[in-house]
Amino acid sequence: MKKTVYLLLAMVLGTAGFAVIPTAAQEFKPSRQIETVVHTGPGGGSDIFARAIAELMQKEKLLPQRMQVVNKSGGGPAVAMAYLAEKKGETHTIGYFTGVWVTNPLTVKEANITVKDLTPIARLVLEPAVIAVKADSPYKTMKDFIEAAKKNPKQLNQSGGSVTSRDNLMRLLLQKHTGAQWNFVSFPSGGERLSNLLGGHAHMMVIEPQEAGEQIRAGNLRVIASLTEKRLPSLANVPTLKEQGIDVPIIPQARGVLAPPAVAKEVVAYWEGVFDSFVKTAGWKQYVEQNQFEDAYLKGPALSKFLDGLQDQMRDVLKEAGAKIVR
Amino acid sequence: MSKEQSTAIAAGCLALFGIYVVYGGSQLAYVDEVGPGPGFFPIWIGVGLVLFGAYQMLSSQAAMRRIRGGFTIWSGSGRALGGWVGFALAIALFRWIGFTVSLVLLTMFLLVALERRSLPQALVVGAILAAIFHLLFVIALGVALPAGPWGF
Amino acid sequence: MDAVTNLLLGFSVALTPINLFWCLVGVVLGTAVGVLPGLGPAATIAMLLPLTLKMDHTTAIIALAGIFYGARYGGSTTSILLNMPGESSSVATCLDGHQMARNGRAGAALGISAIASFIAGTVGVLGLMLIAPPLARFGLRFAPPEYFALMALGLTMVVFLAGESMIKALLALFVGLWLATIGTDLFTAESRFTFGQAKLLGGVDFVAATVGIFAVAEVLINLEARGGAEVLKVPPGLKNLLPTLQDLRDCRFAFVNGSVIGFVVGALPGAGATVASFLSYGLEKAVSRHPEKFGTGVVEGVAAPEGANNADAGGALVPLLTLGIPGGNTTAILLGGLILWGYRPGPLLIQEHPELFWGLVASMYVGNLLLLVLNLPLVPLFAQILRLPNYMLLPFILGISAVGVYSVNNSLFDVWLMALFGLLGYVMRKLDFPPAALILGLVLGDIIERALRQSLMMSQGDLSIFVTRPISATLLLIAVVLLCLPAVRRVRAWRIAAVEREA
Repeated sequence: MKKTVYLLLAMVLGTAGFAVIPTAAQEFKPSRQIETVVHTGPGGGSDIFARAIAELMQKEKLLPQRMQVVNKSGGGPAVAMAYLAEKKGETHTIGYFTGVWVTNPLTVKEANITVKDLTPIARLVLEPAVIAVKADSPYKTMKDFIEAAKKNPKQLNQSGGSVTSRDNLMRLLLQKHTGAQWNFVSFPSGGERLSNLLGGHAHMMVIEPQEAGEQIRAGNLRVIASLTEKRLPSLANVPTLKEQGIDVPIIPQARGVLAPPAVAKEVVAYWEGVFDSFVKTAGWKQYVEQNQFEDAYLKGPALSKFLDGLQDQMRDVLKEAGAKIVR
Repeated sequence: MSKEQSTAIAAGCLALFGIYVVYGGSQLAYVDEVGPGPGFFPIWIGVGLVLFGAYQMLSSQAAMRRIRGGFTIWSGSGRALGGWVGFALAIALFRWIGFTVSLVLLTMFLLVALERRSLPQALVVGAILAAIFHLLFVIALGVALPAGPWGF
Repeated sequence: MDAVTNLLLGFSVALTPINLFWCLVGVVLGTAVGVLPGLGPAATIAMLLPLTLKMDHTTAIIALAGIFYGARYGGSTTSILLNMPGESSSVATCLDGHQMARNGRAGAALGISAIASFIAGTVGVLGLMLIAPPLARFGLRFAPPEYFALMALGLTMVVFLAGESMIKALLALFVGLWLATIGTDLFTAESRFTFGQAKLLGGVDFVAATVGIFAVAEVLINLEARGGAEVLKVPPGLKNLLPTLQDLRDCRFAFVNGSVIGFVVGALPGAGATVASFLSYGLEKAVSRHPEKFGTGVVEGVAAPEGANNADAGGALVPLLTLGIPGGNTTAILLGGLILWGYRPGPLLIQEHPELFWGLVASMYVGNLLLLVLNLPLVPLFAQILRLPNYMLLPFILGISAVGVYSVNNSLFDVWLMALFGLLGYVMRKLDFPPAALILGLVLGDIIERALRQSLMMSQGDLSIFVTRPISATLLLIAVVLLCLPAVRRVRAWRIAAVEREA
C-alpha cells in the first residue's frame, strides 16, 4: 500500500516537474506592439532617439513587432519612471533613460522611483557636450572666457536647462575649480537656449555637438572646448578641457534602455540579445556617427555598476552645488 | 440660493483658498540669489486672491441687500451634477471595462436617467456612438483608447 | 526677383499631382484634428512620422505642414458652434464666436473665421517667403525682458476680457496663475503645490484644463434643461449662413491685426498661438469704436483671433526653417521629422535644399486656398450639427473630450483633471466668472514668471533691465497705456457729462 502511494506521489511530482521545466526554458518573443517610453514630448531629444531606433529596428528586421513611442512627459523623468514602475513584470514595455533619470530622484521628493527600482537592459551611447560661444564673441578659448568671467564676476551669462541639469553642474564644477563666477539662466527648451545665445543675451552655453552642428557650419557659433576625455572626431581642432589645463570631472550624459521592475529573466535576456545585435548593425553605427555620439554599449553587471557609480557621483556634485538631497 | 448669494460664498471660498496659497508659497524661498524665488509668485497670487475675494464678497453682499432675495439659479443643477457623477463613474470604469463599453453605459445613463428616453433607444444610440468612436479613433487615426481587459 | 524665381520653382514642385494630393490629405486631416478637442497636430504628426519615411521628403513636409496649419482652421468650428475650443489657441474665438452663434449668426461667424484664416494664413506665407531671415534675426533680439513685457501686455488683455465684472475676471485670472505654478520650479527644481502627486510634477496640462472648463462645463450646463432641447437654434436659409458684405467691411482692420500680430508672435520661440490670439483680440477691442459690444457677438472679435492663430503657423515656421530652432511643440516634432529624413535643419537649410523650402512655401499658398474652398461650402453643413438633439450630442462630446485629453499623454490622470475642471467651469459659468480669463492666466502665468526670473538672473537683480532695453520698454509702455485707457475714457465721458450738465 505504502509503495503505491509513494509511486503515485513520485508520478505526480515528476509530472509537475516536467510541466515546470519547459516553461522556465521557454523562449520569449514579442507578440504585440512594443511600448517604448520616453520622458519628453514629441520632438524632444529622447523622443527623436526612440523613433530613430524604432525605424532602424524595422529596417534591420530585428524585432517581430513594431515599436511604438509612448510620450510620458512631466516633472523631467518622474512621470515616465512612475509609469514604468507601475508596469511590473510587463514584457512588452521598455523605456529609454538619460542621465536625468538618475539625478532627478536625488533632489525631488515626489519622484520616488529610482533607476535601481527598474531593470537595466543596456547603455547605448554617451552624448558628448561642447562649450559654444557666438562666433563674433571675443572668447577664442576656454581660458579667455574664464579670464573675462574673473574680471567681471557675475556679469556673464550661460544659457542652459534646469539647475540640476548637466549644464549647470558643469558650470558649478568649473566655477569651483577656476574661481570664476558667472550667471546661469534657465530655459526649458533647447530652442530657447540656443536663440538666447545667438541673440547675444547669453555669452556661452553647453550644447551637444549635433545640436550645434548646423550653427557651426553656418558660422554662427564657435566651439571653444569639448567636454570629453578625448577630442571629438568631428571637431578635431577643438581642445578638450583637460588639454586647456582645466581638469574637472566630465559628467557623462548616457542614453540607454531600462525595463519595468520584476521582469522575468528570459525576457531580460531577450532584450539584451536584441540590443546586442542592434548595436552591431551598420545602420546603428551610421546613426551614432551622424549624431556624434560615442558608442558606449554596456550591459549586465557592468551597466549596474555604471548606474550606481553615476548616482554616487551626481549626489556628490549636487551636494557641493548646495542642492537639497532627499535620497 | 440666488446668484449674488452664491457669488458671495464662492468669493469667500476663494479668499480662504488665497490664504492657503500664501501659506504654501511661504514654505518656499521668497527670494533667490538675485530675484524672486519659487515662493514669490504664489504668495502674491494668494494675496491677490484674498483681496479680490474679500472685495467681491462685500460687493455681492451689498447687491444682495439691494435686490432682496432673488430666485435660485441652481434649480437644474441636480441633473447637471447627476450627469457629472455619471461621467466620473464612466472614467473610473475605463480601466475595468474599457472605453467603448463605458461610453455605451454613459450614453444609456444620460438618455434614460436624464433625458427620459427608453432603454432600448438608449442602447442603440450608445452602440452607434461607440462604433463611431472606434472607427474614428482606433482604426482611422490609430489613437489608443483606454482599453479594458478585453482589449477595447 | 530672386524670390519670384524661387517661388516659381516652388510652384513647379508643389503643383505636381502627388504633392497636391498629399497637401489635400494634410489639410483635411489637420482640420479634422483641429475640430476634435484635445487631439492636437503635434501628436498627429508624431503618429504619422513612420509613414512619411517612405515618401519623398518634400511631399512629406508638405503633408505634415498641412496638418499643422490646417488644424488652426478647424479649431474655430467647435468654438463657435459649441463654445468648446478645439485648441487653446481657439479660446479667444469662443468669446464672440459663440455669442454670434447664439444670436443666430453661426454661419456668418464660421464664414468670417474661414476668410480671416485664409487672409492671415496667406500673409503668413508671404512673410515666410519675403522676410523670414530678417524676422528671425529680429526674433533673436527677444530676450527674457522682452518676453516679460509681451506677456505683461497679454495680461492687460484681461482688462478687455472683463465684461461686466473686473473683479470676477481678476479672480479667474489669479486662479489660472496659481494653476500655472503647480509643478516643478525650473530654476530651483523644487516642487510646488503638487500635493505629493508625481503626476503633477509636470504641471497642469492645459489641454485638460481647456477641454474641461469649456467642453465638459458646456455639457453640464446643457444638462440642466429638461427634455431634449436643441443646443442652439439654427435659422434656415442660406442668407444667414455666410457673412455679409458689411461684416467684411467691419473686419478690415481685424484682418490686418490678426495677420501681423499672429505672424510676429509666432516667430518668437516659446510664445505660442494662444498668446497671439489673445493679443490680437485685445488689440482689436482696444482700437474699436464700440468696445463695449465685444463679448456680445461682433464679427471683428472672431476675425482677429482666428487670423492670428493662422498667421502664427506661418510665423512658427520662420525660426524652424531659417535657424533650425523650433518655437513650440508642433514645430519641434516637424524638426524631428526633418532630422529623421536626413536633413540638418539650420541656417543653411534653405540654401542647400531650396526645393524643400520653396516647395513647402508654394504648397502653403495652395493649402490655404484649399482650406478656404473646403471650409466655406462646409459652413452650412457644420451649422447643421447644431440641429442634432441633445441626447446624441452630449455623450458624443463627453466621449470626444475624454479621448482627446487621454491622447495627449496617454494618461487617465489628465482625464480626471479634465472632469474636475468641468465641474469648476460649470460653477464659474453659473456665477459669471469668465473661464477665458482662467485659461489666459494658466497659459501666461508660466511664461511670465519664468521671463521675470530669467530677466533678473541676467541683470543680477537690476529691475532697470526692463526699461533700458528698447523693445521691452516699448511693450511695457503700450501695456500701461492700455491699462489706463478705460480710466481715460471714463474721465472723458464724465467730463462731457459735466459739460452737458452745466449747459
